[in-house]
Amino acid sequence: MTDRQRIKVLISVIGLDGHFTGAELVSRILMDAGMEVVYLGIYQTPEMIVNAAIQESVDVIGISSHASNYEQIHLLIDLLKKNNMNDVPVICGGAIPKQHAEVLIKKGVSKIFPPQSTSESIVEYIVSTVKEKA
Amino acid sequence: MKRETDYGYEIKPVYTPKDIEGLDYTRDVGDPGSYPFVRGYYPNGYRNRVWTRRMTAGLGSSMRTNESLKQYRAMGQTQGMLVICDRPSALPIDADHPVGRREAGVLGWHEASLLEFEELMDGIPLTGQSITLLGSSAMSAMRLAYIVVLAEKRGVDLKEVHGSVTEYPFCHTFGQTDHLPLDLLIKLWLDSSEYIVRNKIRMRSGILSQHFQESGGNNAQALAVEIAQLKELLGLLVNERGLDWEDVAFLPYELSSIGMRFFEEIAKVRALRRMFAKMARETFHARSDKACQLLISVHTSGRTMAYQQPLNNIARCAIETLAGAIAGCTAIDNACLDNAHAEPSPFAARMSLNTQHIVSDETGVTDVTDPLAGSYYVEYLTNKVEAEAYKILQQIEEQGGMIAAVKKGYVHNMMEESARKKQKEVESGERLIVGVNELVIPPEEEEAIPIQSVEASDAEEIAQRMENWKKTRDIPLLKEKIARLYSDAKKGDKYNLMPSIIEAVKAYGTAGEIMGVIRMAYGYHYDPLEMIYCPFDLK
Repeated sequence: MTDRQRIKVLISVIGLDGHFTGAELVSRILMDAGMEVVYLGIYQTPEMIVNAAIQESVDVIGISSHASNYEQIHLLIDLLKKNNMNDVPVICGGAIPKQHAEVLIKKGVSKIFPPQSTSESIVEYIVSTVKEKA
Repeated sequence: MKRETDYGYEIKPVYTPKDIEGLDYTRDVGDPGSYPFVRGYYPNGYRNRVWTRRMTAGLGSSMRTNESLKQYRAMGQTQGMLVICDRPSALPIDADHPVGRREAGVLGWHEASLLEFEELMDGIPLTGQSITLLGSSAMSAMRLAYIVVLAEKRGVDLKEVHGSVTEYPFCHTFGQTDHLPLDLLIKLWLDSSEYIVRNKIRMRSGILSQHFQESGGNNAQALAVEIAQLKELLGLLVNERGLDWEDVAFLPYELSSIGMRFFEEIAKVRALRRMFAKMARETFHARSDKACQLLISVHTSGRTMAYQQPLNNIARCAIETLAGAIAGCTAIDNACLDNAHAEPSPFAARMSLNTQHIVSDETGVTDVTDPLAGSYYVEYLTNKVEAEAYKILQQIEEQGGMIAAVKKGYVHNMMEESARKKQKEVESGERLIVGVNELVIPPEEEEAIPIQSVEASDAEEIAQRMENWKKTRDIPLLKEKIARLYSDAKKGDKYNLMPSIIEAVKAYGTAGEIMGVIRMAYGYHYDPLEMIYCPFDLK
């Protein structure tokens, strides 16, 4: 966020997950908080998400997930590393059990928001993470 | 704390006869078993038959799901089974598709071929219990073919099989995984429905408000959407496929999402019975009482199952189950205490099934039919939610009906707005949820619950098996059936594809192959994700 005033966040549902309600809701929350949101929608592969993140030069990637094997998120982290994009934090939200959340954090996901997280906590986290980076 | 209905109307401290002035018992409510069926369809209620107490199953391979079903049977689930499919087969693509192999078995069982259905049903009877398969509209025709073919193979009379394996074409609008274009989904739904009705098969088709409501829609909207889609879809069967309403009325079933607004949930189901009965008579000129009755099942709401302090969800599940039972329904399947974490563990499944039996066997709720009838408050709420639903229905009709309203994004916007409102109400503390915005405890004090999960290796195993198995099929026979399906699919919208789909399924054609070829006949890419190409030479 060096030459830009507004924080730019990519929000996507990953893989074959069709549960878009959470992703749409969070997109709205971030827009209401003054952020720019690139909303990719559903059926996005890790490759598509990384490409969009590069093209749009986003500050943060937000992945919504509803019960999965989380393989797709691991692939996304690997791809980001491969493209030297370790500095773009990945945050996840949704029905992610604790055991899997711990594995994802170890893998490199920066933060996981469980169901019923508040708008405030999500916005605050993104703002402080982007500030830290800058 | 907010004291208003789920759909935004203030609730008073007390209700009196004034609130239901003009309500005529015989005309507007009626005894159980009498038009307009507010009180249900059976004079003796649950004394004839208690609702089917069932649990959703489905995770990983067909063999693994078969084991779960057998476990559920041992836990006492013998009236009916309910299985949900995984993401690749909901799309549908096969497990050996480059994207499919990352998620095979995720969220449900992989149901892409007859082989998998045979494995799912191994040692489990096709008759004597209801067979319900859920998870996508695109798979409706495939699943119906599985039933037809397996019944034939087992020498079971198809007319003895009952349940539901087909689903309405709007699921993907409400957050499900379907990926066929809407017009093609509608065509295939009409094909499977027409086949069921013409062959007098006792299989229902799910035309559901559950997905809409679980994605954030409110009670009045859910009623309006349900009636709008019933009206349009069943109307197509009558008007375009030339079927008689007296037969068509036996096709649909509704899965109503029952949340925590106890009295409102009950009122919603009561209102739905009246709205359907009126529509049957006034729009479709129903000649018999039976053709004015909508089969209604209940799903206790997954949306209300909190992530925080998951054992609290047992209490929520019990209250919702009681509401569903009082409302009157033919079956209940519960969202489990671990719903916000993962697919149901055996522990959570047993708790849910036990909860249903505690409600049915210990509370006395099965003794008396529609026990809240005559309550000033409940009759008022029944009228109110119905009136509100009719207003929304009117708006949907002004858009040109359900299909047009979906295409214009009208239904989606309505749902999103309602979901946002609900989120804001929780964040502002206007609606309280224990463990979420009231009586919160630190995360480290949270009780640990068992989690059932599916690993990436499970998905790869399903994919590998499919890849190897595909080569062992009778390829010339499969090619012949696929070619026939392709040429039939070019014969226009009203040419029913069920017979050729059944033949292709019998030759072990997979969902990816069969739906891919139909897609091609309609001018679409073979693969919904446009990554692989049709392996068959089609002319």
